[in-house]
Amino acid sequence: MRIVHYLNQFFGGLGGEEQAGAPLEARDEAVGPGRLLEQLLGADAKVVLSLICGDNYAVEHQDTFIAAALEKIRAANADLLVAGPCFLAGRYGVAAGALCSAVQSKLGLPVITGMARENPGADLYRETLYIIDSGESAARMREVLERMTQFAQKLMAKKAIGSPKDEGCIPRGLIRDQFVERTAGERLVDMALAKVRGEPFESEMAPAAFAPVPIPPPVRNLKTAKVMLITDGGLVPKGNPDQIQASAATRWGSYSIKDRGDLRAEDYEISHGGYDPQFVRLDPDRLVPLDAMRELEKDGAIGELCDEFISTSGLANPLSNTRRMGREMAERAKSLGVDAIILTST
Amino acid sequence: MIGANRLVLGNGIVHVVGDAHISVDEEKKLRRQLVEKALAALQSDGK
Repeated sequence: MRIVHYLNQFFGGLGGEEQAGAPLEARDEAVGPGRLLEQLLGADAKVVLSLICGDNYAVEHQDTFIAAALEKIRAANADLLVAGPCFLAGRYGVAAGALCSAVQSKLGLPVITGMARENPGADLYRETLYIIDSGESAARMREVLERMTQFAQKLMAKKAIGSPKDEGCIPRGLIRDQFVERTAGERLVDMALAKVRGEPFESEMAPAAFAPVPIPPPVRNLKTAKVMLITDGGLVPKGNPDQIQASAATRWGSYSIKDRGDLRAEDYEISHGGYDPQFVRLDPDRLVPLDAMRELEKDGAIGELCDEFISTSGLANPLSNTRRMGREMAERAKSLGVDAIILTST
Repeated sequence: MIGANRLVLGNGIVHVVGDAHISVDEEKKLRRQLVEKALAALQSDGK
């Protein structure tokens, strides 16, 4: 069995955060936890290629990184890709998820990765990939690698994959039909009785839960702050150059308002569908208040208005899209030195 | 929305920071007021 193992700069032994910019490196043997991985996979398993990449590099140059990694994995004639485990390391998890997803779809290879449920990579890739729930602590490396290898062996042997709970995976949000002995009414009554008695019970469908986002501290000095406008009302430049979908949008755009004092009707259109756009069409400032912000900027109430506004459509948009887009928008705002955002929502 | 932080109530869905039924001047004033509320919220602890 020929294995490729993807690791970040830390687990790959390059160093800590100071090595996060390291570009992709290839070694033709197991490195770090890869050695234990090789052992656990058995005598005929060999890590023929270790791919090590700095977390910042992998995330900031994702396309280059993935293309280069795919080349090397193809050339290595691999049977399996193992990425991580990443635990709570967010950039690592996102990079591992992206790599696994590309290898799965472009090379058709079995892939397995592991990370904590709260890892942003889990959020982005849980529906596409099998992700072993590693928990947060890297102290459990051995146990996590054991579960990953057991799962990998199942995948390679094309055995039936059980429920996420049985396999130790992060739930993928998929629903499977199954014949059972008791009717829904009976099962529900049993659950309700257990709940009332304070006894444990297991819901058959878990509602989507996510960790609450901690609220940032207030803006210290608005008079020197750079403020950005964002909207989910689907206001886009005429022609919708980024082809932002009206519903369940997967794309967003950032549009220049440099030197503009207000938004003109003829320059914009609306890609939404969840509200009557006639009023915003006549005056887009009714959705994205550029004119008011310019006044406040002139009056010194804020330091500066960012010369781009960001837009997408929030209509019928699942969390799997919006959480990703929100993170991407935040990255863009950060790169533009934005201190605070006003989001106008329909 | 219960527990939502730094949330300012807009003037309806179809013109969040506007109003189609008042004069242009009154609308500009309304928009400015709503935006000022947003700026105040940004400076608050957000509860």
